[in-house]
Amino acid sequence: MGSISFRNVDKVFGQGTGGVKALDDINLDIADKEFVAIVGPSGCGKTTCLRMVAGFEAASAGSVLVNGRPVTAPGPDRAVVFQQFALFPWKTVRENIELGLRNKNLPVGERSDLVASALKLMNLETHVDAFPHQLSGGMQQRVAIARAYVLDPEVLLMDEPFGALDAQTRVVMQEELVRLARHNPRTVLFITHAVEEAVYLADRVAIMTRRPGRIKEVLDIKAVREREKWDSHARIEDVMDLESFVHLRTHIWKSLREEKGFKDV
Amino acid sequence: MAPLASRKTNLASRKTNLASRKTIIGGLTVIGLIVLWFVLTTFTGLVTGARFPSPAEFWLSLNQINGRGYAGSTLASHALHSLKLVLMGFTVAVLTGVPLGLWMGWSRRAEAFINPVFLIIRPIPPLAWIPLAILWLGLGDAAKILVIWFSAFVPSVINAFTGVRNIDKPILEAARMLGTPRWRMVREVILPASLPMIFTGLRLSLQASWTTLVAAELVGALVGVGFVLNMAQQDIYPGMILVGMVTVGILGWATTLLLARIERQALAWNVAARD
Repeated sequence: MGSISFRNVDKVFGQGTGGVKALDDINLDIADKEFVAIVGPSGCGKTTCLRMVAGFEAASAGSVLVNGRPVTAPGPDRAVVFQQFALFPWKTVRENIELGLRNKNLPVGERSDLVASALKLMNLETHVDAFPHQLSGGMQQRVAIARAYVLDPEVLLMDEPFGALDAQTRVVMQEELVRLARHNPRTVLFITHAVEEAVYLADRVAIMTRRPGRIKEVLDIKAVREREKWDSHARIEDVMDLESFVHLRTHIWKSLREEKGFKDV
Repeated sequence: MAPLASRKTNLASRKTNLASRKTIIGGLTVIGLIVLWFVLTTFTGLVTGARFPSPAEFWLSLNQINGRGYAGSTLASHALHSLKLVLMGFTVAVLTGVPLGLWMGWSRRAEAFINPVFLIIRPIPPLAWIPLAILWLGLGDAAKILVIWFSAFVPSVINAFTGVRNIDKPILEAARMLGTPRWRMVREVILPASLPMIFTGLRLSLQASWTTLVAAELVGALVGVGFVLNMAQQDIYPGMILVGMVTVGILGWATTLLLARIERQALAWNVAARD
């Protein structure tokens, strides 16, 4: 089980007259096992939305609920994948992945089974004992995703996870994430400013306005994807050529273009 | 592929060439200085033995202190005594300073409590504590360890503190997100993340330990390298002064080298430290 709800959420940074309103009356419900991407211009507060679900920030007004309960602090039920990977450089790949399981006080045997399957899932078996600095950016992000998946979290929070990767690696990671998400669906909140990425990955895409961020529009991608059988294409570029894909992408593009300050790609 | 590969090896060999050239140049400089020493003191007599000892005089002094002894004992026992005091003072300073720095870095409240005390004490040079320390504890070891502790403590605290404050925020957030309990957080996240800065502090602390020890032994001691220097000055004995200076230099160099080796071991995961 894992649902996320934003109820009339405001976020103000700073205090009094110096305060800056970052988010304005955000309402969004993400169902169990649904993959929702938020796109928006830089500085619109989309990352703040994610950070509130993670428990790193508190809402100034309204409430953020996970499974109907208000979020109070960070916790392993809401795993985060950070843009800058945020691996522990002094821990090996195995130790990075294992930390969350140790924190859950799982017995050693169970831990190593779970780590082994997470390593396999992300194709990391040959790098078990490497330190993060010995890995490429793509590999490091695989470790971070494995570290999040192994927790078996109720919701998965991904904050521009592929933003720091080069274009080729990015495409590979997107394809792998689709594979993961379709075979083993879970609740995902995915933040990105790359429109195509959002359309390719998500069941629904929420578009935000510029600051103070509001939800402008929510598009149902899943209905189109299933009707047009996107998943019958293995490669991202084949999907991106489909008329239905192009149509959705262009729609989001136009919507974002109306927001001043949006610049991308 | 072939030209690229060969270019790569060229680059690598150029790097080793550069490194070996550096050692050669360094070696030549040292040899040059020694020759200059001979020339100025022995061959031309431009510098008389009353100002600076000739190599022969240095050698005689070294033999004297190693054989009959000087200032009460042999060089080895003076050196070992000084080394012991430095290691003790340094260890006490690190064991108290690093945890305090980590705590101040982690807890804003601890910082608020302790920082004012620091601001008052910090401008006082550690050497200014020597008279008070001798008054309290006499000319024995305890006074020296206390003064070393004063001087080596501060860099340990400040760098550990800075180390914690400079930890990448996402790393802390990742640890919290993973549900890391408090004590494990300190041991497995805060401490290793600040370790590079902590070692910077340890290096400074070690230097401060030697400086302070020699100063303390110069002011009042019955044994130790600083005491040798003090006696040699009173005896107007340049050869022995140089022996004392060289001994301190070698001891400082050796302990710094040891610390650097420990650092390399402890920070094997750190890329920045490798380059």
